[in-house]
Amino acid sequence: MLQASEYNIFDYLTWYRKTRNFNLVEKRKGLVRTTKSLLLLVISWSMVLFLSGIGIFLLLIYTGQFKYVFFFLVVIFSPHLLAYGIIIPLLTTRVMVQWPAELLIVNAAKRKLKIHTAIKIGVAGSFGKTTMREILKTVLSEGKKVAAPPHSHNTPLGISRFAKTLKGDEEVLIFELGEYCPGDVRRLCNLVQPSMGVITGVNEAHLQRFKSLERTVGTIYELSDYLGKKPVYVNGESELGQKNARPNHFVYSRKGVRGWKIENQKTDLTGTSFIMTKNDMGLEMKSALLGLHQVGPLAAAADIALILGLSPEQVKSGVNKTTPFSHRLELKTDDAGVVTLDDSYNGNPDGFNAAIDFLASLEGCRRFYVTPGLVEMGSQTEEVHRQIGRRLARTSIEKVVLVKNSVTPYIEQGLKEEEYHGEIIWFNDALAAFVALPLLTVKGDVVLLQNDWPDQYQ
Amino acid sequence: MKKTIAVVFGGRSAEHDVSIITAHTPIIQSLLALGQFDVWPIYIAKDGSWYSDQAMNDLAYFKQDNFLEHLARQKKVRILFDKGLKIIWPGIRQKTVQIDIVFPAMHGTLGEDGSLMGLLRMADVPFVGCDLFASAVSMDKVLTKQILAVENISVVPYTWFTRNDWGTDRSACIEKIAGLGWPVFVKPVHLGSSIGITKAKQSSELENAIEVAFHYDDKVLVEKSVENLIEVTLPIMGNEELRLAAIERPLNKTEFFDFSDKYLSGNKNGGGVNSRYSEIPANIDKELAGRVEDLGKRTYRTLGCSGIARVDFLVDETSRQIYVNEVNTLPGSLYYHNWKKAGISAVELVAKLVFLAEERFASQQKTTYTFHSDILKKAGGQKRMAG
Repeated sequence: MLQASEYNIFDYLTWYRKTRNFNLVEKRKGLVRTTKSLLLLVISWSMVLFLSGIGIFLLLIYTGQFKYVFFFLVVIFSPHLLAYGIIIPLLTTRVMVQWPAELLIVNAAKRKLKIHTAIKIGVAGSFGKTTMREILKTVLSEGKKVAAPPHSHNTPLGISRFAKTLKGDEEVLIFELGEYCPGDVRRLCNLVQPSMGVITGVNEAHLQRFKSLERTVGTIYELSDYLGKKPVYVNGESELGQKNARPNHFVYSRKGVRGWKIENQKTDLTGTSFIMTKNDMGLEMKSALLGLHQVGPLAAAADIALILGLSPEQVKSGVNKTTPFSHRLELKTDDAGVVTLDDSYNGNPDGFNAAIDFLASLEGCRRFYVTPGLVEMGSQTEEVHRQIGRRLARTSIEKVVLVKNSVTPYIEQGLKEEEYHGEIIWFNDALAAFVALPLLTVKGDVVLLQNDWPDQYQ
Repeated sequence: MKKTIAVVFGGRSAEHDVSIITAHTPIIQSLLALGQFDVWPIYIAKDGSWYSDQAMNDLAYFKQDNFLEHLARQKKVRILFDKGLKIIWPGIRQKTVQIDIVFPAMHGTLGEDGSLMGLLRMADVPFVGCDLFASAVSMDKVLTKQILAVENISVVPYTWFTRNDWGTDRSACIEKIAGLGWPVFVKPVHLGSSIGITKAKQSSELENAIEVAFHYDDKVLVEKSVENLIEVTLPIMGNEELRLAAIERPLNKTEFFDFSDKYLSGNKNGGGVNSRYSEIPANIDKELAGRVEDLGKRTYRTLGCSGIARVDFLVDETSRQIYVNEVNTLPGSLYYHNWKKAGISAVELVAKLVFLAEERFASQQKTTYTFHSDILKKAGGQKRMAG
């Protein structure tokens, strides 16, 4: 579970304190054998042997008056000693080895990036960073040599490892700037030294860590603070993004960006299309990305591409090549003709709203909305989920499939508040829902899988 | 309180393992997804022992490497057929569960052939699928052909004989077969899932084919092979009012659609009939499709099917002659892959079948099976008087 929590001790201890039954903790994912995990496993077993040795010593050799009391204390507290004790070698290794080594790697990356001549674009936000990064990469690659860290490598170490792979001839570098606590985005800006930024939006994602939305806004806008008067694009469809945008920022949305007017937006299972017009120029865009919420990011990427010198034809071609990214409203059709929209990596309220709106916009099919809800919503947990329920109820989505946990009853409450007319189907866990979905669906049905919970959340 | 439903599977049959798959995918999984039933699996082992444990609701139970060791530790159950079905776990803390509905998921002999249905009729409990008579007749491919022929439903020219006939007068059997013309199909009469079926192209291949068939059965059917063949199948559901799934055409990998084509090849999950090697709906013209559907319904009704069945057809592409080949009263995995494409999900299918079982049971309850009589009293007295 330490590994599942990315070795975040706070998350691990939160999980440990909340868990009542330790028999079923590996529901979805087992231990991935890495040097770190194996080392911790060996240390854990050494601790088990050590504690067993103490127990045997107390029982067979120790002759003191309270031998049985001590023995039972060891037996009772051993699991806790093991659970908390494993943190000591982890912290020791982190302070003695990991941090110094990382510091060296990060400093080397910083030096390399400082002399790198490429235009560096930083992407920050509570949600939509990976999508924005991939859109920019796809569009800009039509006319520039572009590189970006793979997967969701958005931490100093992840970015530094990526920097090591750079050849020096790249023309544009795109960095996703991850935020886990205040100061994170500033630190990453100091590392990558962006000359341009995109703020994809601010919402309640990771609110549990940030404690307040103001702190989240402050952290994400560290990118804007760093860039000063340099160009920053801000997603105007994010309420908090729009509210905190500064006069020199370029606000983008499905209506337009930096003087571009957007019209004729359409979306269905085949993709999204729109027309961008500015002065005498008109660009007809077509992307395989799904949902009207993608129009704004696509338009922003098109504008950035034009600023960086790509021709209108190259921009159109780049937008045309954008496709859904893995587990983000990714369309899959099975042998039986059931369409699945895999949005399992989408774990934020704005993403939920966009996906619900897209599903609701589909016609002539039976629609299933499947979710375990959102994690780390902190004090907003109840309200965020009731809103999801109310939004779902206002659509005509036929089936809502909920996974039983601590938050989905709030979605049900929201559904009932708005007198939802469809069917609510419950499953004890996500695996049961995944097994049952092929049995519940027929040819032509569309199933939206919204978010997925790792094992450490209940 | 939820109704209890028992899914019976396994059994002393060559199709024991297929039955386990059908029971789980889609039946048990759908019943669990429905959430309206307390689902009790009843597993009949290959040695005929009966077991029931809700851990068996998970197909993984049967896939364990040490499955037989697990099974050996299970307590066998007793089944009571007295005024409804009850599962009893004997012992000091005896436990009894009253079953409200039974979902037979058995393929082949000693299950699908009407044996189980007979027991369930005795228990007076509603059960899913065809009743005793349709099950027994459909299990015997020869009897099926004989009954259909009487109703002017076309069947392929055939002959049949028993193991005894083959042992005592082999030449007469061969003579009957030769009259059909080559090639021929040799089939065990009572087996499904294409087990033990061989195509013999000439007389030299015949004896081996017959020996293979007699390995599984004591009655063998030999039928003329239809050349220019289109093989199609049609799942049907209903008691009085029939609902048809899509006409499906198996796309044969081998010379005929055999056990491995049906259940093993290309299906990642190992559950259900392989859909990759069939065409749904079959690419046949509207007129032919209409005749297949009409013939399917006539066959279903002629044999007295109820609940669900699948009718298999052989079509001569050149002459456009359609023959009913056989009827399967429990299609593998209920052919849910086909129903799914026809717009009925597995959960809806299973729920509908349970509804049909209750509907038929309610109808049967209106039939009077016993009546008051003083014939016994009178019988003794009259005899004495007569004497």
